[in-house]
Amino acid sequence: MRAIENSRLYPWLLLAPALMFFAIWNLLPLFWMVGMSFYNYSLTLGRPPRFVQFRNYLDYLDNIDLWLAFSRTFTFVFFSVTLTTLLGALIGTLYWGSTRMPGRRLALTLLFSPMILTPAAIGTFFRLNYDPTFGVIGYLTRLITHTNVEYLGTEGLAFAALVAVDVWMWTPFMVLITLAALGSVPKAELEAAEIDRLSLWNRFRHVILPHARFILVLGIILRTIDAFKVTDLVYQLTRGGPGGTTEVIGVMMFRRAFEAFSIGWTSGVAVITLLTAISFTALFLYLLNLHRRKHSA
Amino acid sequence: MSSRQNWKTYAYWGVLWLVALVYFFPVLWIILSAFKTKEDLLSIPPKWLFQPTLANFASLFNRESFWPTFCNSLLISVVSVSVAIVISFLAAYALSRFKPFGTDFIMFLILSIRMVPGAAVVVPVYLMYAALGWKDGFWPMTLFYAMYSIPFSLWILKGFMDGVSLRFDETGLANNASRFHVIFKVILPQVKPGLIAAFVFNLIFVWNEFLFNFILGGKSTTTIPTLLVTQSYQQGGVDWTFVASLGAIYLLPPVIALYFFQKYLLVGMTFGTVRGEV
Repeated sequence: MRAIENSRLYPWLLLAPALMFFAIWNLLPLFWMVGMSFYNYSLTLGRPPRFVQFRNYLDYLDNIDLWLAFSRTFTFVFFSVTLTTLLGALIGTLYWGSTRMPGRRLALTLLFSPMILTPAAIGTFFRLNYDPTFGVIGYLTRLITHTNVEYLGTEGLAFAALVAVDVWMWTPFMVLITLAALGSVPKAELEAAEIDRLSLWNRFRHVILPHARFILVLGIILRTIDAFKVTDLVYQLTRGGPGGTTEVIGVMMFRRAFEAFSIGWTSGVAVITLLTAISFTALFLYLLNLHRRKHSA
Repeated sequence: MSSRQNWKTYAYWGVLWLVALVYFFPVLWIILSAFKTKEDLLSIPPKWLFQPTLANFASLFNRESFWPTFCNSLLISVVSVSVAIVISFLAAYALSRFKPFGTDFIMFLILSIRMVPGAAVVVPVYLMYAALGWKDGFWPMTLFYAMYSIPFSLWILKGFMDGVSLRFDETGLANNASRFHVIFKVILPQVKPGLIAAFVFNLIFVWNEFLFNFILGGKSTTTIPTLLVTQSYQQGGVDWTFVASLGAIYLLPPVIALYFFQKYLLVGMTFGTVRGEV
């Protein structure tokens, strides 16, 4: 036993199970997928995969559907992240200094609950809420405008409706981040600012922001990555419709792979999203390390 | 405190509670709907006061598919997360203490798994499972979720372990304790909050996951989100009483967990990179 523990291979022994999982479920399928992306392979045709070199990738260059899906995804990310950040910062600031509120833990549980719910179930249920005849939102709209509005059946509106649900689900995350960010501001500096009678704006700019910025930025990047990944919610809410106007990249891959069964083509798109995700991750870690180095130096 | 200030504080608390309730409202609406008859559920204007009924739950529990699916959800999530935690704990110790060559790179690669859209993760795994005949197997499904829970757990646990001083290891080893002893008797108790956070939030994630189960699972490994999606249509329309009652049962455990494990939420939602009081 001791001999094993003192061996230079010991750390790798402890790491082995994790690396094995990584190899079987990630690397192996990944190589397979990268390979597939050079083939024309459709599950429905029953033909063996045909090697097509870079033809899938060349197709992406002028495939308007794909570029629309990407631009839709980034539009979605932009609106969802901006709105959740603004709302979250507002509500988070409002909650700052509420530690003596009775039932605070319960209130926070209720407030945070949307972000831990099953997106698939939420998507399904909001389809009912948005229904022009039977849904609550449909009913309220009728009270105000006296017309039936087909939220999920109208191009443009469906996208807004989707963003609204996502903002509802993820604002709590930015509230959480804002609270953590504000909590990272040293109490002493806040008190000093209070004594010096700094104006609210100056307090925010010179005392709060320099400390809170780091956590806030990490939160925004995580939120961006998450919004980029959105699939379940959209699939259940709109199936990418009407007319493909809510077909974000996750849903597009899902439908191309498992409804149209064009595996080769989808594999290539998956490779592209993989690279996008890796660059997001690199940015996240870069900022994290930058901060650590600054604080340990 | 003057009465004027008192009044202000109450108003402030009132506003905070109102905000919380606004966010909770859609969830409450699902729970309320689960106790309505089909007519009440779809009535216009929406009904606030109604005769509550348990009929939806009765018919849900009598569905042939409900109990097996419920057990699947429970079993798959608990087993996969437990496996992931044990594996990540050992790996986190190795990476935190020995810092082998490529530690940062391993951490980076493992985290990026969690950043990729689900569909891009599942397409290659689907190809592999189809080729090997692993689709709809309990272990292939569970171990896939375990793999997907590792990045999250590893990041949280390594973060906590980096915060535990090397002195503990050194003291233990100097006193002739084995590594094994140091890992499980000295370090483990100190990273307990990390273990709890990783366990609870991975459990919630696997419990909620739909896409992977829908693609890689089958008749004998269906979990509740998949059941909710695949069985919600009946006779041309959506079976809303089924959706509401199943949804209500399903949403409650995570919400209750959130109440009891609230202090771990921040760590859980940020891969352990952000710590602090909320």
